[in-house]
Amino acid sequence: MALNSSRVLDRNGPITDGWQRLADDEAVKTGASALVSFQRLKNEHNALFAEAAAVGVEIGGDVTLEELEPFLPRLGLIVVRFAFMRDGRPFSVGRLLRERYGYTRDLRAVGDFIPDQVLFLLRCGFNSFEVGPNFSADALKHGVAAYTVWYQRGVERNQTVAEMRLGKAKEQA
Amino acid sequence: MYIYDDFDHTVAQQRVAEFRDQVGRRLKGELSEEQFRPLRLMNGLYLQLHAYMLRVAVPYGTLSATQMRKLAHIARVYDRGYAHFTTRQNIQYNWIKLEEMPDLLAELASVQMHGNQTSGNCVRNVTADHFSGAIEGEVEDPRIVSEVIRQWSTFHPEFSWLPRKFKIAVTGAEKDRAAVQWHDIGLHIVRNDADEVGYTVYVGGGMGRIPVLATKVRAFLPKPELLSYLEAILRVYNRHGRRDNIHKARIKILVRDLGPEEFIRQVEEEWEASRQSGVNLPPQEEMRIARYFELPPLEKIAGPVAAFEDAKKQNRAFAQWVATNVHPHKAPGYAIATISLKPIGGIPGDIAADQMDAVADLAERYSFSEIRASHIQNLVLPHVKQADLFAVWQALGKIGFADANAGLVTDIIACPGLDYCSLANARSIPVAQRISERFADLDRQHKIGELQIKISGCINACGHHHAGHIGILGVDKAGQEFYQLTLGGAGDETASTGQLLGPGFSSDGIVDAVEKVIDTYLDLRQPAETFITAYRRVGPAPFKEKLYGAKQ
Ligand code: HEM
Ligand code: SF4
Repeated sequence: MALNSSRVLDRNGPITDGWQRLADDEAVKTGASALVSFQRLKNEHNALFAEAAAVGVEIGGDVTLEELEPFLPRLGLIVVRFAFMRDGRPFSVGRLLRERYGYTRDLRAVGDFIPDQVLFLLRCGFNSFEVGPNFSADALKHGVAAYTVWYQRGVERNQTVAEMRLGKAKEQA
Repeated sequence: MYIYDDFDHTVAQQRVAEFRDQVGRRLKGELSEEQFRPLRLMNGLYLQLHAYMLRVAVPYGTLSATQMRKLAHIARVYDRGYAHFTTRQNIQYNWIKLEEMPDLLAELASVQMHGNQTSGNCVRNVTADHFSGAIEGEVEDPRIVSEVIRQWSTFHPEFSWLPRKFKIAVTGAEKDRAAVQWHDIGLHIVRNDADEVGYTVYVGGGMGRIPVLATKVRAFLPKPELLSYLEAILRVYNRHGRRDNIHKARIKILVRDLGPEEFIRQVEEEWEASRQSGVNLPPQEEMRIARYFELPPLEKIAGPVAAFEDAKKQNRAFAQWVATNVHPHKAPGYAIATISLKPIGGIPGDIAADQMDAVADLAERYSFSEIRASHIQNLVLPHVKQADLFAVWQALGKIGFADANAGLVTDIIACPGLDYCSLANARSIPVAQRISERFADLDRQHKIGELQIKISGCINACGHHHAGHIGILGVDKAGQEFYQLTLGGAGDETASTGQLLGPGFSSDGIVDAVEKVIDTYLDLRQPAETFITAYRRVGPAPFKEKLYGAKQ
């Protein structure tokens, strides 16, 4: 099933996206980029990696990352689903995938999150967002520009406020 | 006091702009109430019975005179001329209009204040000992690490959508005035055998319907590693805390369900994997923040202060006030003065705009412009010359805040209860008022001695009844307000959970019941025994017998 009612955005707005989300009993179209459930990945990984041009997986915030780890080098997309808007687990999952497991390719959020959360998702390592028809791309653009300085370091390795202070102190010294 | 630099100002301004935008989108219908709700909560805005309620953070309870004047201004312009100091060192306004919130937040930001994270499922305003920096015997002023935590937890990318609210408290002294064992994380600043400063870390305390005292998860955490350790705790919680049931979502339930050993193992494992990841604060930054909390330029005062000693001898009422409301300062000749927001028959923690201005004047004149809010819903002037105490006391008398009752039976904590709160089963404030009136006689109060009564209007326990020497819990019994009594709770370093005594009392009966409990204590106490020490010696039996008869 193509992503009909939904769109994919990155921090700048809509992007074109070739991934096909497959139901667990849906055949892989040879040469297509297949997005499958974690269960299917576990059961059929040999066939999937052989047939599809690229393989992506959708996980939830309750994922056991140790189980996903063996597949990481061959995955082209990881989609983390928000079970509901206030589900905060994807933030930790994203950061762990990037910082501890060294995953570098597409990391996407899907589900009930709102534009105001996207900046935080970016800072936890997400780079794309599958959203419904009511999700405002303008609000997203606005939201990601809401803050320019941070007290914490994010996955993007920004300078923290403390480091900026030290830099400033050195300059003045 | 901490003072914002350009970076802090930028963050504060951007927050106001963000919320202005969010309110605009809500009013235009672009955000549904369901989507908007967590956003407004993270700015301290609740929807209550009659109007919006705003909770403004007073980080670790420290306020300047300028900030207090701004709070008074906000009470006048945006509310009905008064506000309410809470048990979490915050201040609340009860009659706020949504459309006015952005301007209100801009006014707060102009004096380095905000409503950030005073509600919502995030790291809340950090609380600390209200005598911090002024009291003898601290390893370190807990406000330093509290400010470190305030900055680190502000808009944290990973931990802003936790399973439930998250409260951190810090004490720097052996005597715990911050109730650290009742918090999600409690930090006790200690020194180890090698003379290094660090923290004893407690996790998983909380009140609500399941009262739990925190588990000690680490006896000594080196100071430079605090933030990475906090992140490890929060990451374990964020990933594994329950999200299916709001009543089981606090970290205390995760600690219970995993078992303390397994919880600690997971935290330590997470910490080992991430402690080198650069989360810890550079030591220079810690030192920069610490400098803001150095003592103000106090005078050197030698020997007893004659004017102060004479005033106590000549004025019994003043001497009584000194006995309860004045604590020794670490500098000779100075004192810490508690301003009781518990006038007889008043609403605990309420303060009118004119009173706020008057307190600001006093702070400016006598306490280096510094004020503290305590979790007992009182205010504190932390650095007053003993020689000025009499003048301070007289000035407080003029605004009705000179009651000599700090720590006594009428120094009651009460939540807003059914008068304001949409979750309440029963009223709390009128019960507090009637108990206060019953024990109005100051000599009787002083004879009873130290006693903490804490009242909550429902099982959420915002009034800390679990930690009250005498706790009162409002319940609904077939549409009637009823009140249960618990005895033996405490929030200090000897923290304990109050035990339910027996069947509840009607609104009329509860004050008599409290009086009976107190009379029973007076009859059985040994010399110098406070209520709580006597209760711990004799247990509930004598009290049950007095209240419910011999059968019980
Ligand atoms: C009037 C609006 C208020 C509402 C709707 C409200 C709601 C709640 C709820 C639902 C809880 C239980 C949380 C849980 O168990 O996870 C709670 C706990 C608490 N609230 Fe409130 N509250 C209100 C006002 C206040 C006020 C005015 C104070 C301070 C005086 C306060 C201080 C606390 C504290 C200290 C707790 C206990 C925290 C713990 O469980 O460890 N709340 N509140
Ligand atoms: S204890 Fe209950 S009644 Fe009191 S403020 Fe909290 S939620 Fe409301």
